Amino acid sequence: MTALIKKIAIAATVASLPALAATTALAEGERYILVSHAPDSDSWWNTIKNGIALAGEQMDVEVEYRNPPTGDLADMARIIEQAAASGPNGIITTLSDYDVLSGPIRAAVDSGVDVIIMNSGTPEQAREVGALMYVGQPEYDAGHAAGLRAAGEGVQSFLCVNHYISSPSSTERCQGFADGLGVELGNQMIDSGQDPAEIKNRVLAYLNTNPETDAILTLGPTSADPTLLALEENGLAGEIYFGTFDLGDNIVEGIKDGIINWGIDQQPFLQAYLPVVVMTNYHRYGVLPGNNINSGPGFITADGLTLVEEYAGEYR
Amino acid sequence: MSEANTALSDERIKNTSRLRTALIRPELGGICGTIIVFALFLIFAGDSGMFNSQGVMNWSIVSAQFMIIAVGACMLMIAGEFDLSVGSMIGFAGMMIAIFTVTLEWPVWQAILVTFALCIAIGALSGYIVVRTGLPSFIVTLAFLFILRGFTIYLPQLIERRTIIGGIDDAAEGDWLAGLFGGKIFGGLFQWLGDNGIIATFERGTRAGDPVVDGIPMLIVWAIGLVIVGHFILVRTRFGNWIFAAGGDAQAARYTGVPVNRVKILMFMFTAFCATVFATCQVMEFGSAGADRGLLKEFEAIIAVVIGGALLTGGYGSVIGAALGALIFGVVQQGLFFAGVESSLFRVFLGLILLFAVILNTYIRRLITGER
Amino acid sequence: MSETQKPIIQMSNIEKHFGSVIALAGVSVDIYPGECHCLLGDNGAGKSTFIKTMSGVHKPTKGEILFDEEPMHFADPRDSIAAGIATVYQDLAMIPLMSVSRNFFMGNEPIRKVGPISVFDHDHANKVTMDEMGKMGINLRGPDQAVGTLSGGERQTVAIARAVHFGAKVLILDEPTSALGVRQTANVLATIDKVRKQGIAVVFITHNVRHALAVGDRFTVLNRGKTLGTATRGNVTQEELQDMMAGGQELASLEGSLGGTV
Repeated sequence: MTALIKKIAIAATVASLPALAATTALAEGERYILVSHAPDSDSWWNTIKNGIALAGEQMDVEVEYRNPPTGDLADMARIIEQAAASGPNGIITTLSDYDVLSGPIRAAVDSGVDVIIMNSGTPEQAREVGALMYVGQPEYDAGHAAGLRAAGEGVQSFLCVNHYISSPSSTERCQGFADGLGVELGNQMIDSGQDPAEIKNRVLAYLNTNPETDAILTLGPTSADPTLLALEENGLAGEIYFGTFDLGDNIVEGIKDGIINWGIDQQPFLQAYLPVVVMTNYHRYGVLPGNNINSGPGFITADGLTLVEEYAGEYR
Repeated sequence: MSEANTALSDERIKNTSRLRTALIRPELGGICGTIIVFALFLIFAGDSGMFNSQGVMNWSIVSAQFMIIAVGACMLMIAGEFDLSVGSMIGFAGMMIAIFTVTLEWPVWQAILVTFALCIAIGALSGYIVVRTGLPSFIVTLAFLFILRGFTIYLPQLIERRTIIGGIDDAAEGDWLAGLFGGKIFGGLFQWLGDNGIIATFERGTRAGDPVVDGIPMLIVWAIGLVIVGHFILVRTRFGNWIFAAGGDAQAARYTGVPVNRVKILMFMFTAFCATVFATCQVMEFGSAGADRGLLKEFEAIIAVVIGGALLTGGYGSVIGAALGALIFGVVQQGLFFAGVESSLFRVFLGLILLFAVILNTYIRRLITGER
Repeated sequence: MSETQKPIIQMSNIEKHFGSVIALAGVSVDIYPGECHCLLGDNGAGKSTFIKTMSGVHKPTKGEILFDEEPMHFADPRDSIAAGIATVYQDLAMIPLMSVSRNFFMGNEPIRKVGPISVFDHDHANKVTMDEMGKMGINLRGPDQAVGTLSGGERQTVAIARAVHFGAKVLILDEPTSALGVRQTANVLATIDKVRKQGIAVVFITHNVRHALAVGDRFTVLNRGKTLGTATRGNVTQEELQDMMAGGQELASLEGSLGGTV
């Protein structure tokens, strides 16, 4: 029995060490929690993490980033409930599924926590759940604008590489693009999954079977990076019209090399940075901008890439 | 020859104390773990909101979710099989309910009952394939993981042109069966607690004055109910003995007349039932079904079961242990956040707990069974 | 064993083919209640096919089996268990992770009614297990002791006690002593002796002639799917049995000493 107790005691000590380290990291000041819907594997959200960290540093407030590890929105609802239970000054969250998330968000608002909606969702939905404001890029509109632009350059058919098929906002981007072009979306959107090798092979397979495809639209670095490799492999790099949402190292390279025609930058940095700044000032001085903030879309082309290049994947 | 078998047992077996005998049981690891986990979080997150009413409800719900699928996974694992399709089954069941209610406009009770029948039938099919072909259940249910997830993404896209189907909450309004999954009980008690200032109330909005926790969700009731029923069946019934026997050594069990195949198929069906309960509670609470619901839940269930002391190879384990494993899992997952630990370290903790639990449980099991 | 007694199992000219393989090529054996009938054979002699045929797992390709003077027709092992033929397999007798009492009643769990629900009657199971084990000379720490903590000989004894308790008339033991040490073997042989005295027919399969001679009443040697005859106790020596198992080259010279029973 003593051996058993000893083992338990050792285990308890070992388990408690990281917790000790974590508690010492707590700082004074207001506390804000950003909850996203992104799975751990989505590298794009690194910019968001950096954005709130910088804002936290500059405003001298405490910031935390939370996400459901697998991207399961039901888990995300629990995280919002949990964030509200821990009694922060404010919660910044995405609203990627109104049905699932509106309840927990409204409960957070009602229990006295201020909420700003960022990234996904619409300004109307943000108002309905009682959020202070919406900071982001309306997805359908962004897709639509991109579609109009592509239509002006003669595109008639396209492939939308959707790496996050279960998120309605991803589908809206594709739908918006199709509507901007004035064509049916139909089978032009593929569910690529999140694995780079699979994405690459699916793009190759699609372009093989549909050689008449004019354009490719990817929805972020997760789908754009493998698509770039696929185009290098089948020799269509620079030939096919290629637009993408969001930025990353390889996307910036691709724009510079002329493989990618444009990237739609929704400027995630602003989506993370601004809500912290806005809420801190609201809580300290009672000032609040009177409108929602559109962080995008901004089209990034080969011109004026210097800053983007320097900070791609970090703040851009 | 006769003096050899008077067997005053064996002088080499040491006497063991009653205390030790009482402690040495499959649940011991789970009990120790639960105590340690609660002690740690009381120390490091005691004042963070983790133990106020909202916080308690939060980790209770998460633990209850794990519990529901862990009970099924535990009994199946004791019967010597795995089900890797639990997560996909959750997504699939939710989506079926959504399609039946929203697209086909069936009454919700009918949608729920048909979904249960369908999912249990799929569980029976995978069980039948496993016992018939003798293939490892790992492989067979891995196939179902992909098949079910594929349908969960394909069907709503085909039918509704989207991957999340909402609007079930409107249809479920006033439905007698929906309340059994999505409702809450003891609302009056919590209102009283809120009125008397024992638990916090909403400060503003349409629900101002209502308690922040307004009842025990049916999810938790289901979890507790399934744990009790599962434990009773396993420990107190003839069928429970068959479950142990089927997983301990299927051939030996067959020789003594235990209907091993029937037991295994029934356990696959029970696992599917548990996954469907999980899905129904989720759909009724959130009012929508999504194609990505339940991702990786099969592993979370298996982890909870293993933390709870069950043996991966079957024949040994405890439903109570699995429930404690689910509690530990839920409390750690949510508690790390309250303690302010960087969320990406969650997996590190999970790995450490799993390792620690398995080592401790192996040690306990050796004490019980005399393995060396 | 008196001549007036009727055999409980009569097997005559049994053949069993698996495709082109002839596992049993004409086997004739009678088993009488209260005798310990030793079935000797080297590895590959057809012993396990023989057991499975006798216990109803396999149907013979040719020949007839009479059980209690009726032709035997068993659909599956459950039927043969119900009829009173119990087989104790060498390795597959017990489930080590389960308690002795759960093992003892595996497949025959006692039921107690609590309201409308049937529950496993643990008190009854524990009591019977302790009693039966005591009769066989094994003192358990408790009925919930796991079988894994028992020695190999004790496990065989539990399995034998279980078969006897549930009314076996014929007990088939598949190499019960082959993996055991000297002392444990002695325990198992003593158990066989006790069982035989209760009037149960014991079929003791082994390739160890000394173990067979220690408890056997009659001895049948199986070689290459054939019986080489049955000898009674006192009419055969260890060496003769050994030679027959080894191949039966000296079959002709042994015929005399086998007392014309070939």
